[in-house]
Amino acid sequence: MSASRDATQGQASRQKRWSRIAERGSMWGMRFTVWCYRSLGRPVGVVLVHAIVAYFFFTDRPGRRASLAYLRRVDATPAGRAALGRRPGLWASFLHYRAFGLSILDRLAIWAERTQDFAYAVEGNEICDRLAAEGRGGIVLGAHLGSFDALRLLAERQHRIVHALMFTEHAQRINTIFRELSPDVELHVIESDSQSIWSTFRIRECVRRGELVSILSDRVDPDDRGRTSRVPFLGGTVELPRAPFLLASLLACPVLLMLACRTGPGHYDVFTELLTDGTAVGPEEREKIASELLTAYAQRLEHYCMKYPYQWFNFFDYWGDEASS
Amino acid sequence: MHAANEIFDWVADVLKQQFQIREEFLRPDARLVDDLDLDSVDAIDLSIRLEEKTGLSFKEEDLKAIETIQDIVDFVHERL
Repeated sequence: MSASRDATQGQASRQKRWSRIAERGSMWGMRFTVWCYRSLGRPVGVVLVHAIVAYFFFTDRPGRRASLAYLRRVDATPAGRAALGRRPGLWASFLHYRAFGLSILDRLAIWAERTQDFAYAVEGNEICDRLAAEGRGGIVLGAHLGSFDALRLLAERQHRIVHALMFTEHAQRINTIFRELSPDVELHVIESDSQSIWSTFRIRECVRRGELVSILSDRVDPDDRGRTSRVPFLGGTVELPRAPFLLASLLACPVLLMLACRTGPGHYDVFTELLTDGTAVGPEEREKIASELLTAYAQRLEHYCMKYPYQWFNFFDYWGDEASS
Repeated sequence: MHAANEIFDWVADVLKQQFQIREEFLRPDARLVDDLDLDSVDAIDLSIRLEEKTGLSFKEEDLKAIETIQDIVDFVHERL
């Protein structure tokens, strides 16, 4: 007996298929790359990443189609075309895959080597400084655009606590590798327990302690169970999860967008934007606030996609074009 | 809102009005997840409404054992 919502189809199932493939590949690939990276050094790691990227590029047809579909949408805007620097063809798509591979390599550098060699150009840091001075926590909306681990390293340097909310088994498995690599590092991971509807209280407790909780909000999770909205994004509409935005409006806390986009070896541009300062609103206003946040998030994400087109790491049918055709 | 039946009526009303759950599901033994299909966002939403209504403050440890509407009623009733 079920009283209301149906399970989410659409983006969640498309993403799940891609996740299974990516997970299978990334698990063995990452373990092997870690071994090479540690034993033979970064230059060998870079060569190996190119080989792995080439393998995936030539064998992952759905991913390649998704990459091209995304690059064409970016290319349809003047700013996006300028940032792409080339036609959205196979070479651009390969560079897209390569950017993903290099970001994984940077993750390994962060976790395996505890590197301090990363250089950051930071915009909007004063927002975090102000919140810290006021003792206020907040929700950080992230995306599969750039590198969360680069952000995490920066937060560590700045002595800020940023918890990562993990929804999926996929993310947990990947993180198992990182735990193996750096057993001494405190992960600050909040694992969303699908068996307990009360686990969301952990987020509220962190925010109340003045800490930040980051949620990757650009993919629909199977646990979202129909709680999604379609919003304009890069010339079409996409299905995004409503839960992070509803949660933010319920907690009435500051909501930030934070992204770290790779600009070269060991170099990242970091952006922090305040989407809302978190004014408390009545229950009847919360849905409206959540919708506004969701739209603002998608607009800013679009802006950064056009600025850093190769940093978008959603290699599946994001717009549902193939599903609908 | 101190009597158990008042708490039940209030919770049932919120579930009906705000969560669009049909009245026939709103029995004391209705399970929040399996019968009413509530998720973690609903749970925190309902808890915040309860906190605003009663002045109580809830923590995850307090709520872990709650499975049914009656559990909510008992939980709040004991603390008021």
